[in-house]
Amino acid sequence: MITLFRLIQSLSLLLLLIGAVTAEHTSNWAVLVSTSRFWFNYRHLANVLSLYRTVKRLGIPDSQIILMLPDDMACNPRNAFPGTVYSNADRAVDLYGDNIEVDYRGYEVTVENFIRLLTDRLDEDVPRSKRLGSDAGSNVLVYMTGHGGDQFLKFQDAEEIGAWDLADAFGQMWEKKRYHELLFMIDTCQANTMYTHFYSPNIVATGSSELDQSSYSHHADNDVGVAVIDRWTYYVLEFLETQVTSANSKLNLGDLFDSYDESKIHSQPGVRWDLFPGGEPEGRLRTVVDFFGNVQNVEVENANATEPGSLKEDLAEIARLVEKWQKRDEEYSAILGNSSQQHGENQPSESVRLGSKKTGPTRMAEDNSWGKRLVGLSVVGACTAIWVAGSILGRSA
Amino acid sequence: MPAAIRNLRNKPDVLFVRLPNVLSLLCIVVGVVWLLLLPLNEYSRNTYISENALLPGQVHAYFTGSEQNIFRGYKKELEVLLNEGREEGVSQDVAVTPAAHNKVHSILQAAGLKVATQKYEYTSAGITHHGENIYGIIHAPRGDATEAIVLVAAWKTADDELNLKGVTLALTLSRYFKRWSLWSKDIIFLFTPDSKSGTQAWIDAYHDLQPASVQPLPLKSGALQGALVIEFPFEHNFRSLHVVYDGVNGQLPNLDLINTAVAIAGGQMGMGTNLQEMWEHDDSYQARLKTILRGMTKQGLGYATGAHSSFMPYHIDAITLQPKGEGWEDEMALGRTIESLCRSLNNLLEHLHQSFFFYLLMQTNRFVSIGTYLPSAMLIAGNFTIMAIALWMRTGYYSDSKTNAPAEKSESEKSSDTKGQSMTEEKTKGTPVAERLMAMPLTLVSGLHLLGLVPLWMFNTLSHQYFTTATYVFVVVDVVLPLLLAALLSSGLGLSAPIVPQQYLLIKSFTLLLLGLSLSTLATLNFSLSFMIGLLCAPLSFIVRLQSPSAPVRFAVSTIGLLLLNLLSPPIVLLGVCWYTGVSVESVMTQAAFGWDVWGMWTQVVVWCVWWPAWLIGCVVLGSSMF
Repeated sequence: MITLFRLIQSLSLLLLLIGAVTAEHTSNWAVLVSTSRFWFNYRHLANVLSLYRTVKRLGIPDSQIILMLPDDMACNPRNAFPGTVYSNADRAVDLYGDNIEVDYRGYEVTVENFIRLLTDRLDEDVPRSKRLGSDAGSNVLVYMTGHGGDQFLKFQDAEEIGAWDLADAFGQMWEKKRYHELLFMIDTCQANTMYTHFYSPNIVATGSSELDQSSYSHHADNDVGVAVIDRWTYYVLEFLETQVTSANSKLNLGDLFDSYDESKIHSQPGVRWDLFPGGEPEGRLRTVVDFFGNVQNVEVENANATEPGSLKEDLAEIARLVEKWQKRDEEYSAILGNSSQQHGENQPSESVRLGSKKTGPTRMAEDNSWGKRLVGLSVVGACTAIWVAGSILGRSA
Repeated sequence: MPAAIRNLRNKPDVLFVRLPNVLSLLCIVVGVVWLLLLPLNEYSRNTYISENALLPGQVHAYFTGSEQNIFRGYKKELEVLLNEGREEGVSQDVAVTPAAHNKVHSILQAAGLKVATQKYEYTSAGITHHGENIYGIIHAPRGDATEAIVLVAAWKTADDELNLKGVTLALTLSRYFKRWSLWSKDIIFLFTPDSKSGTQAWIDAYHDLQPASVQPLPLKSGALQGALVIEFPFEHNFRSLHVVYDGVNGQLPNLDLINTAVAIAGGQMGMGTNLQEMWEHDDSYQARLKTILRGMTKQGLGYATGAHSSFMPYHIDAITLQPKGEGWEDEMALGRTIESLCRSLNNLLEHLHQSFFFYLLMQTNRFVSIGTYLPSAMLIAGNFTIMAIALWMRTGYYSDSKTNAPAEKSESEKSSDTKGQSMTEEKTKGTPVAERLMAMPLTLVSGLHLLGLVPLWMFNTLSHQYFTTATYVFVVVDVVLPLLLAALLSSGLGLSAPIVPQQYLLIKSFTLLLLGLSLSTLATLNFSLSFMIGLLCAPLSFIVRLQSPSAPVRFAVSTIGLLLLNLLSPPIVLLGVCWYTGVSVESVMTQAAFGWDVWGMWTQVVVWCVWWPAWLIGCVVLGSSMF
């Protein structure tokens, strides 16, 4: 009995170790932000909508994408093609097609709302669609585009977010266990200055241009009459669309960043690895779909762990609470019983008393039955088998 | 340096007489040289589009092909109606026959525009100008009707030619634009009988500021964001596009509008552009300076240079596009340019405001902004102020010219800052520091400035046939009046005390002070006018009442001086310019009166209430040396 128990313990420990090595995440979230309004900034909305389309294609559901669009290009009277947004002059793909969910629009796109969204300091009445529901197991992709400068990014027409604001927002996210790993991408002038102040771990950051460099638009559509996409985003998208063709793609961030071609982008894109555990060599190994795709993993917790926040501790706490409430209930019903004795028959209080007698507290004890341990073992075993099989199949694919 | 200043204090003659003269002259010379430096690369800048929203030339213009057939059809119809009208006896003075007028109405209506008309009548200098405007509005299909762009085609161009192709092009464009769904602003097509009064009547009525003789508009749209005037008064194809931009009173449209027109015509359509009738511009110093000076002349005179000028007082940016030269560009190329310009204006999110409103253009792609050129006129205006202050100080310093500098040396430091102080000094030491006798000089200066209202009123109310005579009469008045005033002053007629030399200095001081004040204020509003008046008035700074030589010499010198000054009097300058340019005095004065009555032109006010009084007083001061 003791040996078997130890075996389980060592097995789960092994699992945990392996888990730490691959850093499995359990969900994916994407925050896609355009920060500029006005018709002549059509391309910024097209940038974001293109990326929105890509992450949806790779599997992130709308419920896990926060899309911020400050202006409505599709319905702008100047739009020669009403109801559409294109990011290419060939107008092959209508980005504003029939399946689009904008979470923050118009004047809702503010620095305050953006920071509140990241740090989850939102009022209770804010709907789920406007909340970033990420947790300690979530990989978060944050993409921003707009007009920026040295360590700031302009929001709409009147305010801007600074590099420190953004760094602090991510810092808080980390403290609040709101991300597991975070990929920050930004396409604006002097974009690389925006991530210089980041300090929280597990962030990979990349931007389109260095200090004192402009980011340029890629091309204009002569019928729409405006530039439709920015260069850096265009080439990132080109990589994502042509190379990362499925959610099982094994291409990693290293491949993505290596695809940057300064002669095409016309500015020097930057990447920041130092916040990532293991730095560049480790970061490069993260697959693109770790951030752009979606996983729906279940976190299997160690049943025997006793550290704060573990399942066992939670259960013990719940048991204590149940006991407490039980006691209070009995006291309460005793008072009620007294009163009913005084005033005659009282059916509800009787039933309460009966009910409380029937459901006693479930005792959480060390000596669980063997059956439960076996079930646990088989679940762990099955998961391990699936994982082993999956990684073998994945490697061959 | 302190030693030099102390030394200067001991020489009031240098400080109050020579130094101001030198400084004033320096100001004038530097002011003129400054202007001459502007065309150099170091002082001018290349133009650039400031407004991000404009995106000039980024759209395909589709106004080609079948639209040309429509154009030909409309043109034929209008041509026939015009010729029939002429045969039926419609005079050549009227550009449009009633039948053609109605045709425009029906074409606009058929194209699906809301059409309305407006009758107007102006009387100026005994001439009646009347006509009827037609305009149609394309309501932006998806816009909110709060803003609008105006396209104007006048039946007569600014040069009084029949603008048949311009009108036809506007009609064709109205039909073409109606089919686009991408307008964020309403587009108004305005057809006026002429370029001078029609747009003025329309724009006044659009803002409900029309006189009683002008009908109100039955149909309106939102706030006007820009206006383009189309001219095409000849049959052959053209080579380049002439952009006319001067507004009434020297107001200019936002530089972005001109830049956009130049960028679209030059960059997208590949045709040349010209400014200020500079057909051959080799970008040399001379050509640049010439362009600046032509621009300054138009700005200074402040008249309307085309139908677009009337829009400027309402802060609506407007330009006229005139095809010029013989080339291969046809009406469709002009149409595409206008289409592209309209698409750019359509992109605007707010009124044009990013770029400059005060500038001098020296080439289609080169300009100087107000910060660079303003010191030029300011220095010239400043020379009068310097002289006025110097004279003011001098009048408190000398009691009369007989006192010698050594006598005052001892008290020069305390000098004459306050009257009270001077008085006490006078009492204690018996030195010749006088109280300023200001009553008479103030009365004279303000009286003569008010007298300027007489010619102002006269030249704006006379009937046009009397203008030439009135001008010559005024030349004579200008000769006689100063002498008469000088004689009156020196004889002391009507004055209790005889006039003293100090009062002449005060008269000159006040008039120069007023002149400097007016011109420096004017320089910020109409740089060119201030500069021109400043230059014409420059001799007034250096005029003195001669006292020292014997009477015959004084008489001779002042006579020559007065003759020279008379050459610079407003009516003589007008006659001289008319003779040089070959324009009749009557037409200039008629135009000026029309400008005053219809356009709200202010040039005359500056001439008769700033320049003329200052000139007159200068002549009086000089003339007084005869008596």
